[in-house]
Amino acid sequence: MDRRRFVLGTALGSLHLGLLGMPARAAQGEDPVGSLKIDIQAPDVPASPLGMPGLFPGRVIEVAHAGALRDGRVFQPAVREMLDRGMQALTGEAAAGDAWAKFVEPSDIVALKVNPSGTPTTTTSIALVREVIRALGGAGVPNRHIIVFDRNSNQMELAGYHNLLPVGVQVVGLDRRWVVGGETRPGYDPNAFAEMNCFGERETRSYLATIVTTGATKIINLPCLKEHNASGVTGCLKNLAYGCFDNVARTHLYPKTYTNPAIPVLCTTAPLRAKAVLHIMDGIRAVYQSGPFAWNPEFVWEAKTLLMGTDPVAVDRIELDIVERKRRDVGAPSLFDHSPEHLGTSAEMEQTAQKNRFYREPAHIATAARLGLGRYELSQIDHRRLQAG
Amino acid sequence: MDEASANWVTLLSGNDRGGGRVVGRTSRPEQLAWKVTLPESIRTSPVLADGALYVTSLDGRLRVLDANSGRERWSFAAGAEIHSTPALSGDLVLFGCDDGAVYAVNRTSGQQQWKAQSEGAIWTSPSVHGGVAFLGTNDGVFAAIDVAGGRLRWSRRFDGRMHSTAYVTATHVYVGCSDGRVLALDAATGADAWAYETGDSVTASPAVSDGLVLVGSEDRCFYALDAGTGALRWRFEAGLGLASSPAVAAGKVAFGGKDGLLYVLSVADGRLLWKSESIRPIVATPVAGPRIVCIQGFFGTTQAFDLENGKVLWAAELGGSLGSTPILTDEMVYLATYPGVIYALR
Repeated sequence: MDRRRFVLGTALGSLHLGLLGMPARAAQGEDPVGSLKIDIQAPDVPASPLGMPGLFPGRVIEVAHAGALRDGRVFQPAVREMLDRGMQALTGEAAAGDAWAKFVEPSDIVALKVNPSGTPTTTTSIALVREVIRALGGAGVPNRHIIVFDRNSNQMELAGYHNLLPVGVQVVGLDRRWVVGGETRPGYDPNAFAEMNCFGERETRSYLATIVTTGATKIINLPCLKEHNASGVTGCLKNLAYGCFDNVARTHLYPKTYTNPAIPVLCTTAPLRAKAVLHIMDGIRAVYQSGPFAWNPEFVWEAKTLLMGTDPVAVDRIELDIVERKRRDVGAPSLFDHSPEHLGTSAEMEQTAQKNRFYREPAHIATAARLGLGRYELSQIDHRRLQAG
Repeated sequence: MDEASANWVTLLSGNDRGGGRVVGRTSRPEQLAWKVTLPESIRTSPVLADGALYVTSLDGRLRVLDANSGRERWSFAAGAEIHSTPALSGDLVLFGCDDGAVYAVNRTSGQQQWKAQSEGAIWTSPSVHGGVAFLGTNDGVFAAIDVAGGRLRWSRRFDGRMHSTAYVTATHVYVGCSDGRVLALDAATGADAWAYETGDSVTASPAVSDGLVLVGSEDRCFYALDAGTGALRWRFEAGLGLASSPAVAAGKVAFGGKDGLLYVLSVADGRLLWKSESIRPIVATPVAGPRIVCIQGFFGTTQAFDLENGKVLWAAELGGSLGSTPILTDEMVYLATYPGVIYALR
């Protein structure tokens, strides 16, 4: 059993971790809100060279395709080309099939973590999920070994994953029971959880998905390139942490959010860290304000890009810079801005990029680097840009 | 009751999507008559017949509630979660289940009459015509089953999921497939009559009116196909994908879009008559009558419009996700929600 305790200062960020049961040292340099103690308990999974940061630490492939959208629709043949080119560049393999074979074997049960939180245009696109399934098939993974999942079955249904994906692929909302090998399982594992008390809430545990602990042997992460009103961006790290653990909305209490350090700490949970082998970020449409839902189409732009890597920290760092650049271009405050005058209501946040509900915490990406999940400094990131099409 | 309602040929009975009832009411409901909260989510539409509401839920139960009081008359436990709207045929209520079975339950006693096992989960509603129930599965199987005993008459396997509830006539079955096709099959044998390929998955359920098969596709287009030949008669492009099944009344066809708009077109030529303001994504099926169309938006809004001109007649904010078809009678309005609440409004 993996049992660890984290005590992290939330702003200035000293960090300690130790085995649960051992005295945790007080964090240094805490901000006025104080530090957050997080106890992790989960099945122990042996560390894998494929686990985060994976086979290619610091490498990020950014693939753009001018034809990724056609008449406002995601053009699946373009996505296929982007995916193939990106995988070849990431792995150095000449053939896309060989590239995928570095991450999966035919016997694997592969879970695809999608992001269904948003308008129908700002979720992980069906075209990308279909192409990943096709590529996995090319590597010998049958559809019946593939699970597409997220926390919320209603959002999964709205996005269309239940009815638009190929036959045989299992689609699971973690708020529902699911069936594997004829056995019904709950969405969350009662023996795997993070214990933390953010704001005095009654339920202080967040449980980890059974798909992560026992269902899947590999996880491929398919987040979206989006600003997030609490964490700054919702990228690889947030898509994993807040999409695989339940009861995480409690880490936000206007205007404060504990997404830093909760996101990176949850990502260190042994099964999640070991099994998440590949991250492919959907940036065909991207969001720079009022994410993750982005009801105002004014805040969605056609970036026509995919970001790919095995290092979620490096991918999220590049995403962060892309969103920051976009916000700068439109005159919006930085994601790191903590000026009280930029705080506003949800309605204001959806109307203007000058307002936000929370003091965003994009520093969770840097915290993840300090926890060993990947590389944050640009000088350590091998960022390669490709043009497909 | 007309032939369509009597035989329950499509989701929620006839093309009016009225569960077999004439939709005449246009007035705003004024008060809550009763409210029932089920232990689990409702992802289907209640069906009203003979003073009873038939409701399936994710707790794996079919419940029959008294339509006047909400009191439960009986319930039946199936083998898994239920995403299939029930269908009525004579003394039986039929529905599919996530355990891959079709259940036939006596409407009076609540006793199981038969159970037919398939492979994949069944999210479609059985469509009954001429003593045969037609339905598809998530594994791409489409089957015809005897209503009398559950014997399989024929089945077909397709390359896409079957989330579309079939429309059945004396000779043909019309159904969508997530492989992108609208299919017309011979009702007796399952053989292909014709197929029309759209640009993306067809998960909505077709309606048939004036010799046209009417259905939307995830490719954003709404199609009118000749029921005899499959030839395209007209096409209308919406803003985003279409998963909402159409309802037909008074020469008009109404459906929702993932772009949040309710569209009303002329059946004859596909002309846009009016569209609503956005109520955020719509995947539910509207109910339509000669003077009203009513639909649920996914994020909590139910709105009723004058079918003629799109004027808002009334609206209700229920909260939670919404994906079912309202039932409008002269006396009551029945609404169901994902959180498992059934509202009866007077």
